[in-house]
Amino acid sequence: MFVDYLAEAFLHFEQALAGLWIWKTMLFMAIGVAGGLIAGAIPGFTIAMAVVLTLPFTFSMPPEQGAATMVSVMVGGLSGGLMAGILTGIPGTPSSVATTFDGFPMARAGNPGLALGLGVWSSFFGGIFSAICLMTLAPQLARVGLEFQPWDFFMLVMFALTITASLAGKHLVKGLIAGALGLLVRTVGEDDAAGMARFDFGTDALLSGFDFIAVLIGLFAFSQLLSDVRDPAKARQSLSDQGRVRARIDHLGALREIRKRWLVVLRSASIGVFTGILPGAGGSVANILAYDQAKKASKEPEKFGTGTPEGIIAPESSNNAVEGGALITLIGLGIPGDVTAAVMLGALLIHDVVPSPSFIADEPVLVYSIFTAFFIATFMMIFFQSFMLRVFVLVTRIRMYMLASVILGFCGIGVFALNNVTFDLWSLLWFGIIGFVMRQFGFPLAPMILGVVLGNIAELNLARALAIDESLTPFFTRPWSLFFLVVALFSAAFPLFQRDRGRKVWTLFYLPFACFGAAVPLYMMGGVPRPVIATLVVLYGAWTLWKRARRGWQLDARDAEAVELKEG
Amino acid sequence: MTRLNRDSIVAICLLVACGVFIWATFDIRSPDYGVLMPSTWPRVILAALTLLSLIYLVQSIKAGPDDVSQAPDREPGLAGFVAYWRNPVICFVMFFLYLLTMPVLGMLIGGILFVFMLMNLLGGWQPKQLLLHAVIAVVAVGAMWSMFTFALEVMLPEGVIYNPYAS
Repeated sequence: MFVDYLAEAFLHFEQALAGLWIWKTMLFMAIGVAGGLIAGAIPGFTIAMAVVLTLPFTFSMPPEQGAATMVSVMVGGLSGGLMAGILTGIPGTPSSVATTFDGFPMARAGNPGLALGLGVWSSFFGGIFSAICLMTLAPQLARVGLEFQPWDFFMLVMFALTITASLAGKHLVKGLIAGALGLLVRTVGEDDAAGMARFDFGTDALLSGFDFIAVLIGLFAFSQLLSDVRDPAKARQSLSDQGRVRARIDHLGALREIRKRWLVVLRSASIGVFTGILPGAGGSVANILAYDQAKKASKEPEKFGTGTPEGIIAPESSNNAVEGGALITLIGLGIPGDVTAAVMLGALLIHDVVPSPSFIADEPVLVYSIFTAFFIATFMMIFFQSFMLRVFVLVTRIRMYMLASVILGFCGIGVFALNNVTFDLWSLLWFGIIGFVMRQFGFPLAPMILGVVLGNIAELNLARALAIDESLTPFFTRPWSLFFLVVALFSAAFPLFQRDRGRKVWTLFYLPFACFGAAVPLYMMGGVPRPVIATLVVLYGAWTLWKRARRGWQLDARDAEAVELKEG
Repeated sequence: MTRLNRDSIVAICLLVACGVFIWATFDIRSPDYGVLMPSTWPRVILAALTLLSLIYLVQSIKAGPDDVSQAPDREPGLAGFVAYWRNPVICFVMFFLYLLTMPVLGMLIGGILFVFMLMNLLGGWQPKQLLLHAVIAVVAVGAMWSMFTFALEVMLPEGVIYNPYAS
C-alpha cells in the first residue's frame, strides 16, 4: 500500500515537473524569486504584501504557473529579509527580526560575508526541510480532513480565528473584533445559498459584494504603504543612509559553520513548520521562538546578541520553514496557515480551484506543482542571493516615498485588472483607509484578513450542518468539532497565560488542563492510534502537574521573562 | 467627568456601526426554504461584535484617560494634527482624485499624473526632483500599463482624453 502511494506520488511529481519545466514558467519563477528577495529586503514591505501584489499578474496564467510564481515570490521574500537585517540592522520583514540580533553585530565586527552566508544557507536548509514536510504531511492531513463534517469545518474556522486573534497578545479583544469585522465584510452582497441581497444599502455596486483580493490589497498593502510614509522625514530617507551595505557572501565558511550546528537547523526548522501549521502564526512568531529555543539550548547563551552563528542559523531556518507549514493546512484542509497562505488561497480561488481535504485527490498535478515549485524556488533563492545583493544596494538608494507612490499606482492597475470593475478600485481605497485606521488604533489585521477569507466557508458549513440536523448539539458532541472547540478556548486564554506566566499560580495548571481537555475528543474518536496519542498527552499533562506539585506550586521567575509570542 | 480615551471613542463608533448593521439585517428578505436564513449568520456575527465592542468599551473606560507620555510626538491643536497625518491624508486625497478623474484621464495618463503628483507632494518640488519624479512616473506606470495591456491583454480604462469614444 505504501509502495502504491509512493508510486502515485512519484507519477504526480513527474507530471508536475514536466508542467513546470518550460522556459516561461521558469522565467516567471526566477522573476518571482528575485522580486521576492528585493521586496523582502525593503523594511516596511512584508512578504504578504509582495505576494498580494503579484496576484494580479497570475490572473491570466494557468493555475500551475500562477501558483508556482506566487510560491517563488513567497520563498524569495522569506529569504530577502535577512539582507537588510544583517547589513543595516533594520529587519526587512517581521520574520527576520531575530536575525538582526546576531547578524548585525557579526557584520559590524567585520564578518558580513559569513553572516550573510549563514543566513542564506540556513534559509535554504529550512526551506528544503519544510518542502519535505509539506510533501509528506499535507497528504496525511488531507486524509484526516476527509473525516470532517460541516460541524467540524465550522469549528475549525472558529479555532483559526481565535488563535489568530490570540496572537495579538494583550489586545485579544481587538483581535477578536478584527476577526468578526472580517466575517461581516464577507457577508455583504448576495448570499451564496439563497441569493438574497445583504447590506447593499440600495446600491447595485454592493450587490456582488466586495472582491476579496481588492479587500486584501487595501487592508494589507495600501494601509502598510501609508504607514511607511506617515513620518515625512523617514519617507524621504533611503535605507543606504543607515548602514554599510557592501559585502560578498562567504558560502564555504557558512556551510562549515552550519555543518557543526545541524541540530540547531533541524530544531529551528521543526519549530518553523509547527508554527506555520498553526493558523495565524507566521514567520514573525517562528523566528523569535526559534532564537529563544536556540539560546536556551546553547552552552554559551551569554554569547547571543554579540554575533554568534546560532543566533543567525536559528531564526533563518525557522522563518523559511514556516510557509511549508502554512501550505500544509491550506492544501490538506483548505484553511490558510497565515496571511501569505490566505493570499495563495485567493489566487487558487481566482482559477476556480477551491482547496479542501479532497484537493490533493481532485487536483494532484496542481498540488504537486506547488510542492515542486517550493523545491525549485528554494534552489533558485541560493543562486539569486549573491546576485540580488548588488541589486539590493541599488534599491536601498531609492527613497521610501518614491517606492510607496509607484506601488500605490501599481495597486490601482493590478486591482482593476482582476475583474475590470471600477468599484474594486473604490473598495481598495476604502479598505486602505480602514486598514490604516485599524493599524493606528492597534487592531491586528491578520484576524480580519482570515475572517474575510474564511467567512464564506464558515457560513456554508453552518448552513450544511443545520440542514442535516437543526440541533446545535453535534457542535459539542462530535469529536473533531469538540477538539477544535477545546483548543479554541485554550488559545483564547493564551494571552492571559502569557501575561500571568511566572507571576500567578493558575498558570501552572494551564498546560496540564489543555492536555486533559484535548485528550477527551481524541479518546472519543476511537480506533487505536488516537486513544494512544490521547493517553500520551494525558500522561504528559499529569507528569507536568506532578512535577509542579512536588515543587510546592512554586512559580518559576524565568517564565516571567520568557519571550512573548506575538504576530508582527 | 474624566475625558474619554481614544479606545472608548473607537468602541462607541463600533457600537453605533453594529446598531446600523443590525437594523439593516431587517431589510434582508427571507426565502421560504432553507434552515439558515440569509440574515441569521450576519446577526450571529453582529451579536458577537456588539458583545466584544461592549467589552472593549468597558476595558477602555477602566483604563482611564489616554497616557500623555505615550501619545504620538506631535504639536498640539489642529495644525499639529494635520501636520502629523499630512502624508497619509495626501495619499488618500490623491488616490480619491485619481479614481474620480479616471473616466476622463484613463488609467495611463491618470496613473502617471497620480504617481508624479504624489511623489512631488511627499518628496518635494525642487526642479531636479521634478525631472526625476516625471521620469519615474512615466517609466513605472508606462511599463506596468504596457505589460497589462499588451502582454496580459487586460482592457484598462482608456479615458475620454486618450479615446474620445471611450464610455
